[in-house]
Amino acid sequence: MKYLVMETHPAYAVVLDEEGRFLKAANLRYQVGDTVQDIVELRQPRSRAPAAWKPLSGLAGLAACLCLVFFGWYQPNYTAYGTLRIQINPDVEMTVSRTDRVLDLEGLNEDGEDLVEGYSYKGKDRETAANELVERAIDMGYLSGGETVSITVNSADADWQAREEAQVRAQLEARYGETIVIRLGSDPAPEVTPPQTDPPEIVIPVTPPAAAEDATDYGDTDYGPNADGATDYADAASNADTDYGPYTDGVTDYEDRDDGSDDGDDDDDDSMEDDRDDDWEDGDDDDDGD
Amino acid sequence: MVGTAHPIVAQIYNAKTDPEAADAFIGQYIGFIRSETVKFTHAAPEDGHEDELSIAMLAFYEAILSYERGRGAFLPYAARAIRNRLIDHYRTEKRHGNVISLHAPAGDGEDRTLLDTLPDHRDEIGDYEARSASQQEIREFGEQLGRFGITFSDVADNCPRQDRTLAACRRVLDHARSHPELLDRLVASGRLPINELAADSGVEKKTLERHRKYLVAILLAFTNGYEIIRGHLCQLAPAKGGSAT
Repeated sequence: MKYLVMETHPAYAVVLDEEGRFLKAANLRYQVGDTVQDIVELRQPRSRAPAAWKPLSGLAGLAACLCLVFFGWYQPNYTAYGTLRIQINPDVEMTVSRTDRVLDLEGLNEDGEDLVEGYSYKGKDRETAANELVERAIDMGYLSGGETVSITVNSADADWQAREEAQVRAQLEARYGETIVIRLGSDPAPEVTPPQTDPPEIVIPVTPPAAAEDATDYGDTDYGPNADGATDYADAASNADTDYGPYTDGVTDYEDRDDGSDDGDDDDDDSMEDDRDDDWEDGDDDDDGD
Repeated sequence: MVGTAHPIVAQIYNAKTDPEAADAFIGQYIGFIRSETVKFTHAAPEDGHEDELSIAMLAFYEAILSYERGRGAFLPYAARAIRNRLIDHYRTEKRHGNVISLHAPAGDGEDRTLLDTLPDHRDEIGDYEARSASQQEIREFGEQLGRFGITFSDVADNCPRQDRTLAACRRVLDHARSHPELLDRLVASGRLPINELAADSGVEKKTLERHRKYLVAILLAFTNGYEIIRGHLCQLAPAKGGSAT
């Protein structure tokens, strides 16, 4: 291919090739009118096509942001993840998001509706709402000392459910544990098994000690100035059989020792002596010093 | 961010569109281009490295054309462009590695090169006349293009790069050549009769408009005079005739 040099510039020359193209090429000391054969053609800057991906990238970024907002903030905060049902006598059900945000609150019976009415749960978390509801129930007279609050947590996520149950209980117990009994819906019914069966649940109101005296033995002390002289020990049959002190009966009730010492009993289980364990046997004898 | 841009950036953006500004800018930075070339060749451009300097200048011009604000400082960018272009140049030149230069010593004991041993068939005077004649013609052609407000640089920038577009432009040219009155109108009115050309040659008007400067140049070349240019282009005539039918 021959090129006719049409114009020269310091950095490039405009050449005309035989097919009618005008090209820019390196000016290798060309002069106008020269016919040259090998040229170093100018590389046109690749026109970047922003139209193809730029709006799309914006869109993708926006979508990513929306996803982030939805999954990272909206979903844990504003979608129902489980329900928390509080049964005092008023029956109330809270719908709670994953992050313990109260989304809905409804009474399941008339008292419940009464309790919920006028109570604003907006923006409150489960802890606050539960506390306030119990408080409200106490204020409205639905709940008084010693009564039971039953809590049921329901969710598709068993882990979350268990965690939530434990938290609610711990929290309510920490605050009202002295006056009311907190029971989980998953626990056995309280009527059949009063507090004794389930130690962690037992909350015994200690605030009025006088009233509780007949129920407990706390007042009946054998020490100090209030000692009543009666230790009550002898009452218990198991305590009567002591081998020490003045009440000893001389019968130790111990099993006969299974060793080499001959106590004269016929039923002595000395079969070990005839066994191969002679070393052990001898050592034992020495220790006994018999 | 625009306010903090280095003044060189404005110069570059000016040089992108204005060939004269580009020439001035390159003249201003010729020292930089030289130094970058020397870094690569490890010898002064005058010691047989003139081509490298020319290619470095071309690379610098390419860097001007492709530079954008978001690409960082211009001079490191241009230095990288020059270096890459020179590496490319060396790789293409390596293909001729086993060819002996005409300027190599002839080895016959005399102080002359291989070139001097070849019989000289060139007609120096004839060549000189031919060159001055073509120079004269090209100058006239350039002046006539100037009346249309077009320079050769514009034509080169406007030249179709795709073969299909080039073929379309050639169809337009064929059509115009077979209807000389269109060429006359172009010369007389100084305007390209786009509507007629598009309607008769079957090429889309948009294509013509996009390559208006190129079409003006190539059509002008086929008006009266410009024998040498036409002679240079004559080789495409049969192929063109074949493709037009």
